[in-house]
Amino acid sequence: MTDLQTEPNERLETKTSTATSIVSMLFRFQSLFGLVAVFIVAVLLSPVRDGANIFVSSDNLFNVVRAVSEIGIIAVGMTFVILIGGIDLSVGAVLGLAAVGSAVLMVNDDFGMWPAILIVLAAGLVFGLLQGIASAVFGIQAFIVTLAGLQIARGIARIWSGGQGVAIAYGDGPGEAPVSFSLLGERTFNGLVPIPAIIFVVIAVLAILFLRTSAFARHVFAIGGNEKAARLSGVPVTRVKVIVFGLCGLLSALAGVIHAGQLNQGGPNDGSGYELDAIAAVVIGGTSLSGGRGSVVGTVAGALLLGVLNNILALRNVDPNVQLLVKGLVIVAAAGLQRLRPAS
Amino acid sequence: MPRRLPIAVALAATAALALSACGTTHENSGQGGSSAGQAPANCKGPSGHYLIGMSQANNAEPYREQMNKDIQNAAKAIPQFEVKISDAAADDSKQVSDVENFLTQQIDLLIISPNEATPLTAVVKKAYDKGIPVLVLDRKVDGDAYTEFIGGDNVDIGRQAGEHMKKLFPNGAKIAEIRGLAGSTPAKERQDGFAKGIEGGNIDIVATVDGDWLRDKGQAQAEAVIQAHPEIQAIYSQNDPMGEGAYLALKAAGKEKTVKVTGIDGLPIPSGGIKSVEQGRLAATFVYPTGGKEAIAAAKTLLIDCKTVPKTQTLPTQLVTKDNAADVYAKANS
Repeated sequence: MTDLQTEPNERLETKTSTATSIVSMLFRFQSLFGLVAVFIVAVLLSPVRDGANIFVSSDNLFNVVRAVSEIGIIAVGMTFVILIGGIDLSVGAVLGLAAVGSAVLMVNDDFGMWPAILIVLAAGLVFGLLQGIASAVFGIQAFIVTLAGLQIARGIARIWSGGQGVAIAYGDGPGEAPVSFSLLGERTFNGLVPIPAIIFVVIAVLAILFLRTSAFARHVFAIGGNEKAARLSGVPVTRVKVIVFGLCGLLSALAGVIHAGQLNQGGPNDGSGYELDAIAAVVIGGTSLSGGRGSVVGTVAGALLLGVLNNILALRNVDPNVQLLVKGLVIVAAAGLQRLRPAS
Repeated sequence: MPRRLPIAVALAATAALALSACGTTHENSGQGGSSAGQAPANCKGPSGHYLIGMSQANNAEPYREQMNKDIQNAAKAIPQFEVKISDAAADDSKQVSDVENFLTQQIDLLIISPNEATPLTAVVKKAYDKGIPVLVLDRKVDGDAYTEFIGGDNVDIGRQAGEHMKKLFPNGAKIAEIRGLAGSTPAKERQDGFAKGIEGGNIDIVATVDGDWLRDKGQAQAEAVIQAHPEIQAIYSQNDPMGEGAYLALKAAGKEKTVKVTGIDGLPIPSGGIKSVEQGRLAATFVYPTGGKEAIAAAKTLLIDCKTVPKTQTLPTQLVTKDNAADVYAKANS
């Protein structure tokens, strides 16, 4: 809604001052420029073997996208939550719960692949909706609700799995998961493109279109911009908030299903700390933690930036402890850029 | 913002395509010729230079830090070896990526201490199938797509800890057990082994709690156990740091002289379990060998001597009590 008001002004500005519009353009695509910059640095720093730059080998680049696919999918959901001025700390635990659920349903309870996946996704959705209700209807802060949600999801995952990682074996017999589930750990197009990367791209494109075209998305931006004003102008604030948390839970569960398929196991401790990576991707992508401003494009770029960074640090064999330091500094730098951004 | 987004979408899409397009088929060039599993095929003898990738599950654990040190120290003596260490920070997914990155770098040999077995099996097999010798430390992977497993036997160590408990209390005792992280394999194995070890000894485990391998968690859990079961005579801690935590809790309750604590791991470092035993905080600990030294020896056999190695190398444990603690410590650091 705020966009509709600012756009005419912008058009005037472009006539009067191209310099300011270039600056605001730069900041609009800040997350993409960050990704491009890190990408270029990675190409320059990459070890070369037999005359070939190993960073830009297709195998390696797909490794990067595969490695960020779970975090990326979660970060897409997290973007919506942060856009309404919320936060969801439970995503990693929900991923673990969904991974355990997938494994237990197929291996121990002999469910088919699709019923198991649907049940797990539904569970993630419901879990998110409940957190949304606790936050939006009962007015408990999202930070606290989802911090509790993290513990609860982790607890359920441990109980459900018996405290052990549930290994997934494939086959038709009892105690075996359908072979088709193992596709999640495979690569297609000549063994080149990882399936999780494809799912990530599809989810990202859908979310980008959704955020661009739907009335729901305008409500999301309105709530994040000014909740009171949104309420007064007739936006169903509570309902939108609850649905946003549900969406985030759903996407976390989807990431959990992929996690189980990639690793052939549902572990109750899986996904620890993923919430922080997801939030980092969202913030690097230019979404404001106070809500109302941001984009899924930015989040995808943020996730890929983190992936490229992780990858080049590994290829350069940078000491793991120094890697943590570098990653922390990049996140601070990206967040610092946010403050430079013009208010328009 | 909405008007501009199509550009962004297009950019992102073309970027993704460009990323894939500008790649090369580099992955076909490296180890391609060597057949799977025959490690000596990689052997270039003493004149070669070898890049060894060490994929560590979690540097934050002192035991694993010690394993890294053992590997680095042993590798220093072999000028042909260059060892790179990655840290998965206890995340299976991260460790899969770490190994993939090593493959991109075309390592000559992979050493891996898996965070968990099943999730790492596929990527380890991928390395092995490329003809790269794989040495698996501490925790196994599923199947047999690796060159050699080197590690201690957690079930056996648990059993010996149980038998030692029987020796400490010939007439039986009420004890508490502090487990490691719920869901981790060593926690289960050290529990199962211990249960076997105490069979027939009238040792009664009145409380079992989870200390997640951590000292502070062990302390908090032991405090609660002491409150709920003041009658306990000993605590079996599945590792030394949790045992140290339990000792702190006992000390706060004025029971550190009467309740015995045993641990596992026995790291030969100042903050490790051997010193705890020597200084009287733990009644005993059992050395859980890292296998780092042995891994580099195996790498030398495979790459420089061009010989084969056995599929499994089980490392023996050692009971550490006040009598031998100083000796064991000195020997491990010599």
